[in-house]
Amino acid sequence: MRKILQRMAQNSMYAIISIVSFLLLWAIGVQLSDIKIVMPGPWEVIIDFVDSFIHPVGRYTMPVHILYSLMRVVPAYIVGSVVGITLGILMGWYRPINSIFRPIYELIRPIPPIAWIPISIVWFGIGEGSKWFLIFLAAFVPVTLNSISGARSVDPLLIKCGEMLGASKKHMFRTIVLPFSVPYIFSGLQVGLAGSWATVVAAEMIRSTEGVGWIIISSMDTNDVAQSLVGIMGIGIVGFLLATIMRNVEDRLCAWTVREV
Amino acid sequence: MRVDSTGSVDTVISCQRVSKEFSSKRGTTKVIENISLEVKRNEFVVLFGPGQCGKTTLMNVLSGLDTATSGTVYSLGEKVVRPGAERGVVFQSMALFPWLTVRGNVAYGPKARGFEKSVWIEKSDYYINLVGLKGFEDSYINKLSGGMKQRVGIARAYCNEPEVLFMDEPFSALDAQTRYLMQEEIMRIWSTEKRTIVFITNNIEEAVYVADRIILLTNCPAKIKKEYHIDLPRPRDYTSPEFLSLRDEISKNMDRTL
Repeated sequence: MRKILQRMAQNSMYAIISIVSFLLLWAIGVQLSDIKIVMPGPWEVIIDFVDSFIHPVGRYTMPVHILYSLMRVVPAYIVGSVVGITLGILMGWYRPINSIFRPIYELIRPIPPIAWIPISIVWFGIGEGSKWFLIFLAAFVPVTLNSISGARSVDPLLIKCGEMLGASKKHMFRTIVLPFSVPYIFSGLQVGLAGSWATVVAAEMIRSTEGVGWIIISSMDTNDVAQSLVGIMGIGIVGFLLATIMRNVEDRLCAWTVREV
Repeated sequence: MRVDSTGSVDTVISCQRVSKEFSSKRGTTKVIENISLEVKRNEFVVLFGPGQCGKTTLMNVLSGLDTATSGTVYSLGEKVVRPGAERGVVFQSMALFPWLTVRGNVAYGPKARGFEKSVWIEKSDYYINLVGLKGFEDSYINKLSGGMKQRVGIARAYCNEPEVLFMDEPFSALDAQTRYLMQEEIMRIWSTEKRTIVFITNNIEEAVYVADRIILLTNCPAKIKKEYHIDLPRPRDYTSPEFLSLRDEISKNMDRTL
């Protein structure tokens, strides 16, 4: 326990050193060169970022922009993940289901979600519907893929073991195939989450009046590089927080996997 | 008393002229050839043979995990065609469920077969205690040592109360000291809870220590070479003259392989 704390203290010390030196290099670079118009210094951006929590950028303050973006991501991400997990596990475990869905899935898989932007607007309008559709795709594709490989990788010996212990096929699906696939599903959920967050930013840059993506695109109209960087900072921080939350959920659900701290 | 197809009383598992071939692009390999055997209730039978002679394949066929190319396996008079709860298996690689605790693993069989909670709790308590894992009920498998893991494997197979228990080189992954300890332990467990056991090993000392009867197999394809009834009193002493002479004799009859 003490060792872990010691290592954590050490890790955060290195993190602070690396961030501080990055900011210093940035500040010195801006000072020494003549690029202030296209590249503001770090303090300016940080001050603007903090300020965006108090004074609105456009119509809303930063937290409200973030909330708008999250309201687009979260519901579509959840639906996409649930559909992806269900379809992926069934495809990985039951051959006929795989034969039926694999060709369609393989066609959709390589298409980046943002390629659907024009069609999604035609189909679902410029409101939330089209954004939900894009994020659904961004989550669904990687989650399905990882769920398939999870169900495929189930150790055949464990299945024999289940049969030997008198378990029915249905019981084994629930008690062996599903738990075995959980770590795979989670890596799909992580990839899907990053994809969803990236996709909402892209979708907001095309058409919206609020959200973190809008902050960036509207800075283009005013030529405000600092505002653009503020938006990027918001995206980075929220993306990092989402991934961290996800990792914690995974650690709780997969207490049985031994990990080095 | 049950009577099996061969007409003999109280035979738990038997097979007649069982052969098994594996075919690949390079041709077919005969792994077991024309093996017939019978195992009586509560007998401790050891299938003993050199290296890769097909012992595990024979066990897979006997337990229903695999099917024979020719010949038939009977369990209590019924043909064996698939694995089932009547035939428990302890695997060499242990094959425990890492996402379940010790209790979850041991109680898996009774739970899967739909016993009530109070029943599977009671059963798993009893067998966890029997194999000496009291206090570890809620530990996950990855936290246990090799010897403890195989205790879970034994308890899991026992807890399902099968007619016959197959043990496929259950201690071969353990270090030498733990292996001796587990040999004593399996004797203690078996004398407390008598079961029919078919035990596979390629360790002559282990075979003589645990067996009522040793079936010596030839090298690939595996055929029955000779049978030995071991009636040394238990607990056996690895260093007694009787033990050593038996060990010598069986070793001399064993096929040499690289």
